[in-house]
Amino acid sequence: MDADALPSATSVRLRQAGRFMLRLLEHRSFLIGSVLFFAIVACAGLADVLASDDPNRNDYAAILAGPSAEHRFGADAFGRDILSRVLYGARASLRIGVFVVLGTGVAGVFIGTVAAYVPALDGLFMRTMDGLMAFPGVLLAIALSSALGPSEFNVILALTVAFMPRTARIVRASVLVVKELPFVESAVAIGAGHARIILRYILANSLSPLIVQLTFVFAVTVLAEAILSYIGVGPPPPAPSLGNIIAEGRNYIREAPWIAFFPGVVIAATVLGLNLMGDGLRDVIDPRLRKLREAG
Amino acid sequence: MRICQRSVLFRRIALAVALGAATALASPASAQKAGGDVVFAQSSNPPSLDGMVTSSQASRNITMNMYETLFGFDENIRPMPILAESVEISPDGLTYRIPLRKGVKFHNGKEMTAKDVKASLERYRKHGATAGLLNPVTSIDITGDYEVTFRFAKPTPTFIEAFASPRAPAVIIPEEETGKDPGKINFIGTGPYKFVEYVPDSHVKLAKFADYAQDNRYKGPDGFGGKKTAYFDTITFRVMPETGARTAALEAGEIQINEQIPIPTARRLKGDPKFAIYENKTWGFLTFIINLKQAPGDNPKFREAVQVALKMEPIVGIATEGLFSLNHGWQYPGTTYDAGDIGKQWYNLGDAARAKALLAEAGYKGEPFSILTDSNIPEHNKSAVVIAEQLKAAGINAVINQVDWPTALKIRLQDTGWNGWTLVMGIEPYLGPVGVVATLVGNTAHFRQPDPQLDALYEELISGKTVEARQETFRKIQARLYELRGIIKIGDVGIAQAARSNVKGFTPFRFPRLYNVWFE
Amino acid sequence: MLRFVIYRAISAIPVLIVVSLVCFLLMWIVPGDVASEIAGADATPQQIVQIRANLGLDRPLFERAVDWYWNLLHGDLGRSYLLNRNVTDAVMERLPVTLSLAGLALALAIALGILLGVLAAVNHNRFLDQAAMTLALLGLSMPDFWFGLMLIVLFAVQLGWLPTGGFVSPSEDLIGWARSMTLPALTLAFTQMGVIARMTRSSMLDALGQDYVRTAKAKGLSAGQIVFVHALRNALIPIVTVTGVMTGVLIGGAVVVETVYSLPGSGRLIVGAIQRRDYPIIQGGLLLTATIFVFVNIVVDVLYGLLDPRVRHGR
Repeated sequence: MDADALPSATSVRLRQAGRFMLRLLEHRSFLIGSVLFFAIVACAGLADVLASDDPNRNDYAAILAGPSAEHRFGADAFGRDILSRVLYGARASLRIGVFVVLGTGVAGVFIGTVAAYVPALDGLFMRTMDGLMAFPGVLLAIALSSALGPSEFNVILALTVAFMPRTARIVRASVLVVKELPFVESAVAIGAGHARIILRYILANSLSPLIVQLTFVFAVTVLAEAILSYIGVGPPPPAPSLGNIIAEGRNYIREAPWIAFFPGVVIAATVLGLNLMGDGLRDVIDPRLRKLREAG
Repeated sequence: MRICQRSVLFRRIALAVALGAATALASPASAQKAGGDVVFAQSSNPPSLDGMVTSSQASRNITMNMYETLFGFDENIRPMPILAESVEISPDGLTYRIPLRKGVKFHNGKEMTAKDVKASLERYRKHGATAGLLNPVTSIDITGDYEVTFRFAKPTPTFIEAFASPRAPAVIIPEEETGKDPGKINFIGTGPYKFVEYVPDSHVKLAKFADYAQDNRYKGPDGFGGKKTAYFDTITFRVMPETGARTAALEAGEIQINEQIPIPTARRLKGDPKFAIYENKTWGFLTFIINLKQAPGDNPKFREAVQVALKMEPIVGIATEGLFSLNHGWQYPGTTYDAGDIGKQWYNLGDAARAKALLAEAGYKGEPFSILTDSNIPEHNKSAVVIAEQLKAAGINAVINQVDWPTALKIRLQDTGWNGWTLVMGIEPYLGPVGVVATLVGNTAHFRQPDPQLDALYEELISGKTVEARQETFRKIQARLYELRGIIKIGDVGIAQAARSNVKGFTPFRFPRLYNVWFE
Repeated sequence: MLRFVIYRAISAIPVLIVVSLVCFLLMWIVPGDVASEIAGADATPQQIVQIRANLGLDRPLFERAVDWYWNLLHGDLGRSYLLNRNVTDAVMERLPVTLSLAGLALALAIALGILLGVLAAVNHNRFLDQAAMTLALLGLSMPDFWFGLMLIVLFAVQLGWLPTGGFVSPSEDLIGWARSMTLPALTLAFTQMGVIARMTRSSMLDALGQDYVRTAKAKGLSAGQIVFVHALRNALIPIVTVTGVMTGVLIGGAVVVETVYSLPGSGRLIVGAIQRRDYPIIQGGLLLTATIFVFVNIVVDVLYGLLDPRVRHGR
């Protein structure tokens, strides 16, 4: 950890973190969720090894071929191997998720903290966030993504803008609470600098609701990517993403259901895993629910 | 047609009338039953129902059942009179006297006269999507209650053929509507169905026009004209963007005719007696256009490598889902201007090794080759994907730039920002050699850099005096296209339409003719 | 209370200013233009220039923006380039479809969600809890267009019970309307049902752990009374707040569902306009949608204030 003037605080924190992890691992749905999610992450990470084919290779002879030994998940309208596309597509969808989470986290923390810490900027920042939140998120993302043109980066940008306001609001709310806590006041009293107070005391203690929120942002991003692809403003072809595989397969839902089926299952599993993890985190962080579970 | 001698042209038009009568779509004398509401599903909204201002297919589907033009194409793509009685051309080719059919009623009950025709055509000059068609006409004069006369500064032998083009039809509307801005008119025409309502994103409803003046010179419908009989009480054009939902609606019997169905679906439904599948194998040309002003496409050797690298069968096969013909030619096989085997040795090669050698010769260093395509038209984006894969296999750093259709249309008009562009030419090949070549010449050539040789050949084509002369010119044009390689022919594209089998008399055409069609 | 309502109404003004700015900026970054769309695929550049001039699209952006704001102040959102009508009329005509779809879905989601949530909470950590929560999570985890397509294949094609899409006006045919709205509302509700179910479950568990419920239990009230009278009433408060947020989600989700089922709603109007560069509709449609959303949130806040007095005094 860092060289702190209060070594006991560090060890307390470590012990707390350890206990927190332990409780998380005891939490069944968190466990199931993380196994599910990290299994998918592992498959996506190992796509180069697991994929049986180049995900973009066209095979004219295999157009709309059903699942077989050669194409275990079948082939799409280009004769491309669905298994390989799903593996690489999961990688793209997860990558988009990670960047949106990072973008949302960084922008949300910055805006939320500044708004809470600098009263003069609170009104301007939060009214802007309210203004952005006044648009249905999906509609705003569609409008932005369509305006910016289809690329993975623009999808990330559009989804970040759409999801960031709520995160900023959550960060602001928890910073406002933490700011008033005695240990922050004492830090101010001993003359700690603003940056130090914000990073060391306020943010560190506002982290839990943020982490929970970002888990759900990740889940919603995976779904939103599929929606953007469906409307035609998602990541451009030919590179696969889970969303655009489904979008391309939707016209063959009767004749070749495997195209849309497998990526749909992977999306559902990814989102399910993330939601279960988010639930677990929230349960463990929320003391009253914890008490209840311990009692029952 | 090109000879500007009154008698010849007149005979030609008269011939069209006679032939029309003979080749009119034979419909069984029995069985026609009036009544009912037929629902035709299409994928997109008509941008406008103001027939003359748009050249979009989604509009044409509807407007060609509502409006009519002076001239149109018959079943064999020759000009025929529709609202015109005939045309009489002066020996010097400078005056066209066009008597009009009498007793033709507009949907508002008024009779069509020369005033309406003149006013409509003057509006076409202003707002028509292909207003340039009327450029050769110096004045349109009313020379009788039922007669207009066009005057020309110089003889224009191809005028009637161009003017009959259905691309952005020069429809006749009542005079009082002609002063209005594009899209702001009341949708009143002379066609067998009249406008009822348009709810964008939902439907357009037309109703049978009881006072429709049938063209009794013909026995039945012929091309865009002929004797049209409306059997349905109403027709509904439903806008359904979702292909799967369209198919499901057809299967559930909520719609009776589906504008276009995926080929795999067509194959699935073929065996089912509840459906009739209509395949049209000569719907359009799939082409790949190269920007001649932008490196690396500005290098002829590089373009040769592209031509050699492409294997057309998978491209057009995947793009059309299997309904296609391999055709290297720039006309449909067996048509008048089919140029035979010219260029065939370059077509469908898929020779990556030879392409690599050519690329080395061209000094290609892996610069990105950006393929422009759109998300709206499946044939465009699918072919772009396959082309990109094939080019990559040959060592070209191909990247796809997929945008939406309006953006693609804007980008392709720029000299930079794109290298290749996938395009299905639908109506142009239908219009014949002039239609195809017109998009490739002058400053608006699809490949950006006009080619003087091609421009000269185009002039030769439109002023060619005999069919044989024009055929000879077109052979030179096809040869030149295979030298230039600014546009690469991929193949002929077909489409499949489907209807419930209780819909009788339907024949696929450039637009859905919903007259002379009835429910069993 | 009145002061609180007025306060909330006034605080919406800066939000609406931001909203209109975003709408304006979108027009600025959207590439391509409507002229190419009107002219069609094989138009020449000259035709496009001509159409642009006809529509006044060749005027400087700033001039158009000033015009737009000026007209906006007079309640005029302009005229659609493609639909031959006023933006206000076009959006207002579509809004009932979207609002009735969102409203039906909201009602379904709340009804099903509360049912699942109560079932889960009462059977905490037992099989029914897990089954209900798995169902709720499945709803949350599935892409809605995919779910919609599956419903079409099952109910409209295989079983033939319901239409595949299209909209029937309730004034024309009430039963037809109900039939046309069933699948879309179900599709939309299924995803949001999960949110409500989970929320109900956790607030119920929360409430069941509270002292007053324990007291009620000690007083010998029946399990049913405890659940429905005490715990559920308490659980309703967060559900009221979430409906505000959910309205936005549902209106956004309606875009996709309207496309799948070919419903002529305002969501599809706006997405169509985005794709075809019909600026007045994009701006006006987004502005009206956002305004409605802001208004719904004010109503929700006021309702919340009524349910929980701490809120209005806390401000």
